Amino acid sequence: MRLEMGHIYIKDIQFASESKIEDGILYVSEEAVKAVALEDEKIKSASFDIARPGESVRITPVKDVIEPRVKVEGRGGIFPGVIAKVDTVGEGKTYALKGMAVVTAGKIVGFQEGIIDMTGPGADYTPFSKTLNLVMVCEPVDDIKQHDYEKAVRFAGFRVAAYIGELARNLTPDETKVYETCTIKEGMEKYPDLPRVAYVQMLQSQGLLHDTYVYGVDAKKIVPTILNPTEIMDGAIVSGNCVSACDKNPTYVHLNNPVVHDMFEQHGKTINFVCQIITNENVYLADKMRSSDWTAKICKMLDLDGVIVSQEGFGNPDTDLIMNCKKIEAEGVKTVIITDEYAGRDGKSQSLADADAAADAVVTGGNANQVIILPKLDKVIGTLDYVTKIAGASEETLRADGSLEVELQVLTGATNETGFNKLSAR
Amino acid sequence: MVKEVERAGIPVVHVCTVTPISMTVGANRIVPAIAIPHPLGNPALDKAEEKELRRRIVEKALNALTTEVDGQTIFE
Repeated sequence: MRLEMGHIYIKDIQFASESKIEDGILYVSEEAVKAVALEDEKIKSASFDIARPGESVRITPVKDVIEPRVKVEGRGGIFPGVIAKVDTVGEGKTYALKGMAVVTAGKIVGFQEGIIDMTGPGADYTPFSKTLNLVMVCEPVDDIKQHDYEKAVRFAGFRVAAYIGELARNLTPDETKVYETCTIKEGMEKYPDLPRVAYVQMLQSQGLLHDTYVYGVDAKKIVPTILNPTEIMDGAIVSGNCVSACDKNPTYVHLNNPVVHDMFEQHGKTINFVCQIITNENVYLADKMRSSDWTAKICKMLDLDGVIVSQEGFGNPDTDLIMNCKKIEAEGVKTVIITDEYAGRDGKSQSLADADAAADAVVTGGNANQVIILPKLDKVIGTLDYVTKIAGASEETLRADGSLEVELQVLTGATNETGFNKLSAR
Repeated sequence: MVKEVERAGIPVVHVCTVTPISMTVGANRIVPAIAIPHPLGNPALDKAEEKELRRRIVEKALNALTTEVDGQTIFE
């Protein structure tokens, strides 16, 4: 399967009377994007704002971050089964607007949504301080249930991202990258001497607004399966996830998953990147056992030599991680696991809720409990009403001078477990 | 907590969903619970069925508490 990714670099976003992209500047008609957001009757109002890197702006509570893309050639469309009709994606040609993101914000759960600071120490810890952000703040209709509101905002974000992506359809990309995968037999014949390596991605699927969707299917209802790694670049996996901000994968991370991209970089050189295996993190023990059994079974059936396993979230998914690691290793397949740590504010506590001797190659995204002071910023997009309640904050968070004392946990993407951010440990 | 209470000489039953973690931390008597968001109940059941389910878990735990074990044991 061959996918050409055309990158179009966005240098600025400005509101204008007509939406268009010209000379790398994205002009957005506020009226038009509002209309796109308000297509869902569950959303009462939507307002838009622009946050640029370096500006004294704090965005909170952040729900999702999405990179606008458009499918220009090949089967299907962006976000299959969600926005586009169900069709297998991952081949042909896709354009992505680089350097920018659509950020959805506003109250949903009130305790597990994040902060993006565009300047100051917080900006160093969130990868989304480096993107030009078109921020959408939604208000739901009265008396709506939380899960209906989450769904409404989730879909509104994708609709707006798809609308923005569509503006790039007839542009010429600044840069094109080609991602090509082989079928199983082709790969064996083409790279007989290279180790066969796959990526096992664990998807957050604990329910209660901790969910991920694959081609529109709730990931807690899947059994482990394989994807062509280019499928994610067309939005095969999307976030519906309100878990702790630091280590959930926003849709932007799914689209740009660094494990997939780095493995492609090595494909045909040091490894044969066989496929992506997706599995879930459910709340019933039987599901955890079944999913890790199946993941290990698939690794064996594919005759893999090694896998990289990435986790999403923390706590009981640590068990899914360790079960995957243990069972895959037991099949004779080497593993490297990527996780993050909740080692306490002093970093001295046990980092994961579960452990096993088989997990002897571990990459960390950092300690989510690490404390950081976020100075008061000039402007807030969204609201600070919930800032003492989000995971990683406390009643003492808001200090007299307006600064915030929080754990890294509150910062969107701070300890990402696909290596999307820069934190780690040696 | 399970280990500290046992260290004080009082037997403990750990009722938990993710029994592998309980094994890792070293509980001796483990009773599986229903699910992480609702360990001791099941909102999918009606009230009478759920009460029955809850009683079964508690009885199993009490039974485990009075059973001699030779090493870590999961009471399925």
